Amino acid sequence: MAKIIRTAHTEPFVEKPDDDMIICRCEEITKGEIRRAVYDGMSTMNEVKRYLRSGMGLCQGQTCQRLVQNIIAAEMKMKPTEVGMIQGRSPVRPVEIGIFSNNKTDVKEE
Amino acid sequence: MSEKRIAEHPILGEYQKGELVHFTFDGKDVTGFEGESIAAALKAAGVMVHRYTAKEHKPRGIFCAIGRCTDCVMIVNGEPNVRTCITPLVEGMVVETQYGVETKEAWEASHNEKT
Amino acid sequence: MKRHELIVIGAGPAGLSAAIEAKKSGMDVIVFDENSRPGGQLFKQIHKFFGSKEHHAKERGFKIGESLLAEAEELGVKVELNATVMGIYENKEVTVKMNGEVDHFKADKIIIATGAAENMIPFKGWNIPGVIGAGAAQAMMNLQGVKPGSKILMVGSGNVGLVVSFQLLQAGCEVAAVIDAAPRVGGYGVHAAKVARTGVPFYLSHTVIEAKGTDHVSGAVIAEVDSHFQPIPGTEKELDVDTICIAVGLSPMSQLASNAKCDMALIPQKGGNVALLSEYGETNIKGIYCAGDVAGIEEASSAMIQGRSVASHVCYSLGYITEEEFNTKYDSYQEALGKLRMGMFAPANKGRNDFTVTDEGYPISKNLLAKGYMTEEELENFPAYNYKKAGVHPIIECTQNIPCNPCQDACPKKCIKVGENITMLPQIDEEQGCIGCGLCVASCSGQAIFLMDETSDPDGVLISFPYEFLPLPEVGDKGTALSRSGAPVCEAVITDVKKTKVMDKTAVVTMRVPHEFKNSARFYKPV
Repeated sequence: MAKIIRTAHTEPFVEKPDDDMIICRCEEITKGEIRRAVYDGMSTMNEVKRYLRSGMGLCQGQTCQRLVQNIIAAEMKMKPTEVGMIQGRSPVRPVEIGIFSNNKTDVKEE
Repeated sequence: MSEKRIAEHPILGEYQKGELVHFTFDGKDVTGFEGESIAAALKAAGVMVHRYTAKEHKPRGIFCAIGRCTDCVMIVNGEPNVRTCITPLVEGMVVETQYGVETKEAWEASHNEKT
Repeated sequence: MKRHELIVIGAGPAGLSAAIEAKKSGMDVIVFDENSRPGGQLFKQIHKFFGSKEHHAKERGFKIGESLLAEAEELGVKVELNATVMGIYENKEVTVKMNGEVDHFKADKIIIATGAAENMIPFKGWNIPGVIGAGAAQAMMNLQGVKPGSKILMVGSGNVGLVVSFQLLQAGCEVAAVIDAAPRVGGYGVHAAKVARTGVPFYLSHTVIEAKGTDHVSGAVIAEVDSHFQPIPGTEKELDVDTICIAVGLSPMSQLASNAKCDMALIPQKGGNVALLSEYGETNIKGIYCAGDVAGIEEASSAMIQGRSVASHVCYSLGYITEEEFNTKYDSYQEALGKLRMGMFAPANKGRNDFTVTDEGYPISKNLLAKGYMTEEELENFPAYNYKKAGVHPIIECTQNIPCNPCQDACPKKCIKVGENITMLPQIDEEQGCIGCGLCVASCSGQAIFLMDETSDPDGVLISFPYEFLPLPEVGDKGTALSRSGAPVCEAVITDVKKTKVMDKTAVVTMRVPHEFKNSARFYKPV
C-alpha cells in the first residue's frame, strides 16, 4: 500500500550525521526515522507514536517521550510546548496479555 | 566479597543482606544475597550485559534500576522480559541473557532458519 | 468492584502523607503502589534535607521515609504494593494490576501522586551498558550496596547530579567530572562546593557527545558547547570512565491524569506536562487531585506538605472536617510550603539565571556557578565568612538564598541567626560565645560551615570541617589539606574528631595547618 504523503515537499529529505542514534530504546527507533516521519507529514506526538511505534514498547514511552517531542519541535521549527504531549492511555504500564484476560469486570460492586 | 560491593558505608553502615545464595547466569554458578535485586547480584559479579535487542542486536544493561525503563530485562526461570532491577534474587534462580525475547539458543535457531 | 472513599496512587512522600492525613480524619483510604516497597524515592536519599524543622530539615531522606512509614502503619493506612494502576476511567473507576489479575476499584476521590520520571539526553552510544540514570546509581549504591561503577562521569549539575556525585564519592567510587551544558551550576552552590573540595572538576558549557565501548562503557567523549548548546568542533576531550551517569532533570509522571482526561498543559516551571490544578490541588475533573512531583517537580519536603494539604481538602469535601478546620490546616500547610518556595531556587524562578546579588545585596559568586567553588576574594563579600575573633568561632560559606535554617537551631549558644525568612543567609551574632561544639558544622545540610581557631594552638590554625567519608581520620593522622577546588595546599595534622549521635553520621574533623593557609584549607585527604 502506498504511504499517504500529507505534505508536498519540494526539497528532498536531508539526512544528518546523528540520524542513526537510537531515541526510543525499547522499539529501537532512531532520530532519523522520527525526522523522516515528520517529513512524511506526522506532526504530533500521537501521530509519530502510531506511525513508528516509538513509545509503544515495554517502557511505554517513559524514557523517550521528551526526546521525541524535542525532535518533532526542531523539525517543525516549533517550541516543544507547541508540539504537545502524548495522550495518556490505559494501560499506562505494560501488562501481560494473560493478566488482561483475568479481568474482574463482572464482579458486582461490594 | 566482590570489590564492587560497598563493604561499609559512612552513612548507611553495613548493608542488611539476606542469606548467601547460589544461582546460575547463562549456566555459570554465581552467588548473591537473597532478596537483593537480580541486577545487583549480577552487577557485583561483574555482569554488564543483560540482553541483546531484537532489531539491532545491541547489548543493554541496567539503565534506570527502578523498574521503569525495562532495559535490564532477562530470562528468569524460563520467563522472558523479567525486570531484573526490581526482581528479588532467590536461591537456585536460572538467569539467562535475553536475545530479542528469547534465549540465545532459540534466537540462534530461529535466525539460522531464516538465513 | 471495591469502593473506597479515597484512592491514593503512589506511596511516595506525597501519597503517603496524603493517606496519613485522610486516615487521621477517619476516612476509608487505600494506597496503590507499583513497587514492592513503599516510600517512593525517599529511601535512596541519604543526604540531610534542607528547610526548617517543620520540613524535617537536617534529617536524612531515608530516615524521613522510615518515620512516614511508621506513622502510616500506626494509623493502619492500607498500602497495596506490587499494585500497578493501569488507568482511570469515568466515574472514578480505577483498574489495578495486582496478584496476576486486573481488579477494579471505585472511589469518591482520587489523589494522583505518581511522582516523576528522569529526563534523558541521547548521544552516540547512550544505550551501551554503563550509561545509567542518576536514580539508578542511587538505587544501586544506597539500596543494594553495589557500586554503580568505579570511574564515573556525572552529566548534569542540578541538585540531583550534585547530590548523587557526592553519594558516589561516599560509596567509594571516583567521580571523573561533573559536566553541564548550561554555563552555570544548576543546583545549590553548597552541594557543588562539597563535591568540588574533594577534587572533582566541573566542566560547565560541556556536553557528552559519545560513550565509547561495545559491551560496556570504556570512556566518554565530552565537548564544549556554544551558546546554542551545539558542540564546538576541536574541543573534544576523552575521559577515562566506565560509567556515565545522567542527571538532567525530572518530568512529572502524569500519564494517569492525562488518561483520566484532565486538562493538561506543558509548563516548563513545573518540569513538563501537568494537570491544571486549583489552589487546593484539584484537577478540572471534580474529585481527582494531584500532589507531589506529578503536579510539578519540587523537593520531597514540598511533596509531603502538598500531600497533606490536598488530602485536607478531600477531608473537607467529604465532610470529615469542618470548613473552619480545613481553613486552619490549609493555611498552615500553605505557609510551610511558602517557606520552601522562596529564594533564588524557588519553583517560580526555575530557568532564571539573572541573579547577580543575594537578597542581602551581596554579589553572587561567579566562580561558584562556573566551577563549583568560591574564591577567597568572592567570599570576603560575606560577613559570616569574614567573622573574626580570638578562640574558636564559626565561618560560614553559605552564599545563596536557599530555604534552610538548621544551623540556627543547632547552636546551643544562639550564635547563628537566620531569622523568620529561612532563605536569608545565616549571620553570626558577635554577642554570643562559640564553644566550638561543632553542632552547626554537622547540622548544615550543605556542609558549608567550618570552625576556625587561630589562637588556641601555637603550632598553627585549627580548622574544623564536616566529614562523611570512610575511613574516618584519627587524631594524630597526617595528610594533605585540600583547597575549595580540591587542590593540595599543605600538610595537615588531625587534632580532633567529633562524632556524636546528634551529629547523625556527619563527623566534625579538626585539622591543624600553618597560618598562611587558614583561608584556603577546607578539606582533608589522608596520605
